[in-house]
Parts: sequence; structure tokens; C-alpha cells
Amino acid sequence: MRLGTVIGRVTLGKTVEGLNGARWLVVSPFTRENFQKVSKAPVVSKEPSLVVYDDLGGGVGQTIGFIEGREAAMPFDRPTPIDAIDAALIDTIFYSPFK
Amino acid sequence: MTLARIEGNVVATRKHPSFEGWRLLICQPIGPAGELEGPPQVAIDSLGAGLHERVIISSDGAAARAAVGDPKSPARWMVIALVDEPETGTRA
Repeated sequence: MRLGTVIGRVTLGKTVEGLNGARWLVVSPFTRENFQKVSKAPVVSKEPSLVVYDDLGGGVGQTIGFIEGREAAMPFDRPTPIDAIDAALIDTIFYSPFK
Repeated sequence: MTLARIEGNVVATRKHPSFEGWRLLICQPIGPAGELEGPPQVAIDSLGAGLHERVIISSDGAAARAAVGDPKSPARWMVIALVDEPETGTRA
């Protein structure tokens, strides 16, 4: 799982079957630098942003933990074409960089 | 699998139920000499890895699902070993 800041939401019109009504977040992934200074304002990193499936209710400005890859589709009963899922809404980050 | 150093942890109340009770550690991927390699990953841990300890993390989702005991868990990265001493060599 990687951490990221929710910087937006996407509402879809027509989707493939099984994705109707889902929530989608636009997420800017944390770089190492983002861990060091977590501020209250949404942090947008230089990393490419991505769209993440969400069933936890993440909102703009929140920090979430998202999982990328095949594993993102595991919670679904049928084959689902998603490759990133919101797995945790982060409350607290304790970060102490080495040296 | 990759070498990583534990640099902290995160707390999340609202999360996929399969992560309930698991430690979520911030793991900075490193090379054999400790050089940084890519952005930090958050991995589940059952071995009790300590702050700044070197570990090996694996991205094997099947093993992570077995560890959390939920075949529908999205769990992926997991701490699978604590490192005593990596032997440093030169890169070919």
C-alpha cells in the first residue's frame, strides 16, 4: 500500500458492468518528501496522479492508503477491471527518517 | 522482494476489515548499502519489526491474503523477514 492525498473525485457516466455507482478518487501519491512534512493543506506531489476505487468514503484533502495491482480487484466477487483501491483512511502518520 | 528500512507506522480506523489488528509499517526500499530506492511502501507486519530495522518486504498478494486469513483482502506488501546483516558488494 502506498499513501496519497485525495485531490479530487471522478463521477462516471457510462461504465462497464459492475462498476455502476462506485466512488472514484483522484489521488496524488506521496513521495518520501511528503512523509517528512505532512501538512493540513492537500499535498500534491510531482508523481503522476491516479484514479482509485473507493468504498471507504475518502474525501478531498484526506490522506489514504491505496493498493495497486492485481490485489486491488481481490475484494470483488467477479472479475473487475480496477488496479487501484482505497484500503485505508489514514488518521495518523508516525514518520522518523533514518539518519 | 526488496530490502527496506522501517521508518514509521500509520494508524487508520477506517480500513479494509482484513487489516484489523495488523501493524502497518512505513517501509523505505533500500539497496544493499542502504541507499534509497523508490517511494516508501506501507506493509503489514507480524514479526514485530522495530523502527529503523532492516527487513525484507514481499509484494506477493497471495501470501498476504493467506496471512490475514481473508481470500478477498487487497493486502499486498508484507514484512517477511528481519535482516541481521546484508553483505555489501559492488554492482556489476
